[in-house]
Amino acid sequence: MKRWDLVVIGAGPAGLSAAIEAAEAGMSVIVFDENKKPGGQLFKQIHKFFGSKENHAGVRGIEIGQMLLEKAQKDHIQVELDSAVIGIAKDRSVSVRKDGQTREVQGQNILIAAGASERTLPFPGWTLPGVIGAGAAQTMMNLYGVRPGKKILMIGSGNVGLVVSYQMLQAGCQVAAVVDAAPRIGGYGVHAAKLARNGVPFYLSHTVIRAEGDGAVKSVTIGQVDSSWNIIPGTEKTFDVDTVCMAVGLDPMSQLARMAGALIEEKGGLVPTVDEYGQTSLPGIFAAGDVAGIEEASSAMLNGEIAGLRAAFKSGYIDEETFRTEYKKKKAALGDLRKGTFSPENKGRTDLTLTSEGLPLSENLFEKGFLTDEEVTKYPGVIKKAGVHPVIECTQNIPCNPCQEACAFGCIEVGEDITALPRINPQADCRNCGKCVAMCSGQAIFLVDEEAGCVTIPYEFDPIPEEGEMGTALGRDGSPLGQAEIIKVRKSPAFDHTALVTMRVDKTLAMKARAYSRKTFSE
Amino acid sequence: MEDNRIVHHPILGTYEKGNLVTFTYDGKEMKGYEGEPIAAALLAAGVRIHRYTLRQDKPRGFFCAIGRCTDCVMVVDGKINTRTCITPLREGMVVQTQHGIKA
Amino acid sequence: MKTYGSDRGFSGEAFVPKEDDDVIICRCEEITRGEIRKAIYDGMRTISEIRRYLRPGMGPCQGMTCERNVRGILARETGLPLSQIPGYRPRSPQRPVTLAELGNESEEEGGGV
Repeated sequence: MKRWDLVVIGAGPAGLSAAIEAAEAGMSVIVFDENKKPGGQLFKQIHKFFGSKENHAGVRGIEIGQMLLEKAQKDHIQVELDSAVIGIAKDRSVSVRKDGQTREVQGQNILIAAGASERTLPFPGWTLPGVIGAGAAQTMMNLYGVRPGKKILMIGSGNVGLVVSYQMLQAGCQVAAVVDAAPRIGGYGVHAAKLARNGVPFYLSHTVIRAEGDGAVKSVTIGQVDSSWNIIPGTEKTFDVDTVCMAVGLDPMSQLARMAGALIEEKGGLVPTVDEYGQTSLPGIFAAGDVAGIEEASSAMLNGEIAGLRAAFKSGYIDEETFRTEYKKKKAALGDLRKGTFSPENKGRTDLTLTSEGLPLSENLFEKGFLTDEEVTKYPGVIKKAGVHPVIECTQNIPCNPCQEACAFGCIEVGEDITALPRINPQADCRNCGKCVAMCSGQAIFLVDEEAGCVTIPYEFDPIPEEGEMGTALGRDGSPLGQAEIIKVRKSPAFDHTALVTMRVDKTLAMKARAYSRKTFSE
Repeated sequence: MEDNRIVHHPILGTYEKGNLVTFTYDGKEMKGYEGEPIAAALLAAGVRIHRYTLRQDKPRGFFCAIGRCTDCVMVVDGKINTRTCITPLREGMVVQTQHGIKA
Repeated sequence: MKTYGSDRGFSGEAFVPKEDDDVIICRCEEITRGEIRKAIYDGMRTISEIRRYLRPGMGPCQGMTCERNVRGILARETGLPLSQIPGYRPRSPQRPVTLAELGNESEEEGGGV
């Protein structure tokens, strides 16, 4: 039986990060993945990631995936695809199936980084063709270029539901609604705002009653729920859609850890109990990424690095001092990502009313996906000033700071705490470079000149408007506000496929218009 | 024929595709790209029903699209229970709706 | 991990059918919410007992799709917190494998799931 210093199960963000960390310490590493391509879900993540600039924030998931693969290749890490790990034993032998053959390898250390499976919401009609998981939708449109449907209803308003809904718009689908039984949108307000301003309605405190169709989905009926989750009669609403997409949470794929006999606990899903380095109750068997608890991919990468680092230290590849120093750095970065409005402790809370700065959190943003024209002025990213200046509609404490780095002229400050709301420095001089607009992962930064009635928005739909064309300016709630003339379109490799579209609108609309539709405006 | 293909994507641009190949779905000739999952080619062509269940004879289509749930299984080249969401399309493939555990 | 005994939680009153009892829970084996609820009333108190009784999670997906929902039904019916309801005991192999594959022989016609 072939022996390895580290056997990694899963070539997603956690697994690859661990493998790279371990290989760079000198360990022999093999990575198994049951899929035909490595990268886990990263190659379906076409949006720019949140987090700190040092940890790839502002970079799209697909590019992070590419970076990890290149590193793995450079480090001569053996990545075996189409290889499903079908069993794992306490003695750290791993059974792998590939091309119809089953073989065993032995690991000095094993990292289980198998990811997560999607949760489901059973309702009458949910087995009809056309009811699919959000991951399935991403796979079809982002990997294979096929639209999952023409008109879609999304169940679930967590980040997955919001991000995938937006990706559906980018793929050219219609999103009829985003529905969630919770009273508040579960994901980032900025993700919700991208949908709302493009006309997608939110139905919070609503659940699916049934999906119907002869052979495949033709319609879906939702209804409002009361505080004990019963449908309130008379609130039923039917949408004619051909697809219902579920994004109701993820379950850690802890089956292999369970099979090995690791101690398991319920932590929003069954997960192996791990120590601060990701080691399970079984010595030498680690778990990282979604297997050890559902988090964003940026956290998964850091958790993977920590597990790889720990394995390298325990196996004698790095000394204690190196281990301590590196561990401290990674732990601090991980701590940064676990703060703010959506931290593990705050996730799902409905009683949070203030930001860490003591500003009111917008109820409208939580319930409808947009800030009112009134509310938006209360935040430190929004100021009135002569000439062009950034307007940052970032109103929840999200761990993210690329905007600060984007501005070379000191207009934007986030500070040490990366969950702090970005502030505009009124003294600094905006040069209208647009980097902040393109860099903001939440697409929440606009360049506004109130006097000239000019608004620059990030634009990620196809086709990109052309200079000189006339269309409609849309408000934060997606309602048509007035005519918009496209006066400038900027594309640059530095903007990474986000076009900066400048529209001229009536002066009174400069602080209201936040999206553009190519349809002609009519009163 | 229905076509759900994304011709140009704002972020991804155009998609890398294999050769255009011909296969049959329940006897009908169809086109798809070599190497893409059979389920993707069927979806692009507007085919939504992959099989009818054994116990209740109810229609099913793909659900997870990553080879886990097994809802997308069909009879492919005579082989039942083929997971079409992870089985690459090849020239001349014979794809059939699965009824229970047979074509 | 601790499991619970039959003397705890579920009080043992008569089974009352519910409106959503015919909703499928295990997609592979087409097992409904009602059948799972009934199994609990018939005395099945753990997910493993339910699995032996009804075979949810015994289909080709090995319970990956339904485990959470079956645990949820158990929690609701017995009044126990989810933390006291263990999952299916995963068996090797974790993916559909033909007998031939395990024997390292070439794949049989009609094998697979």
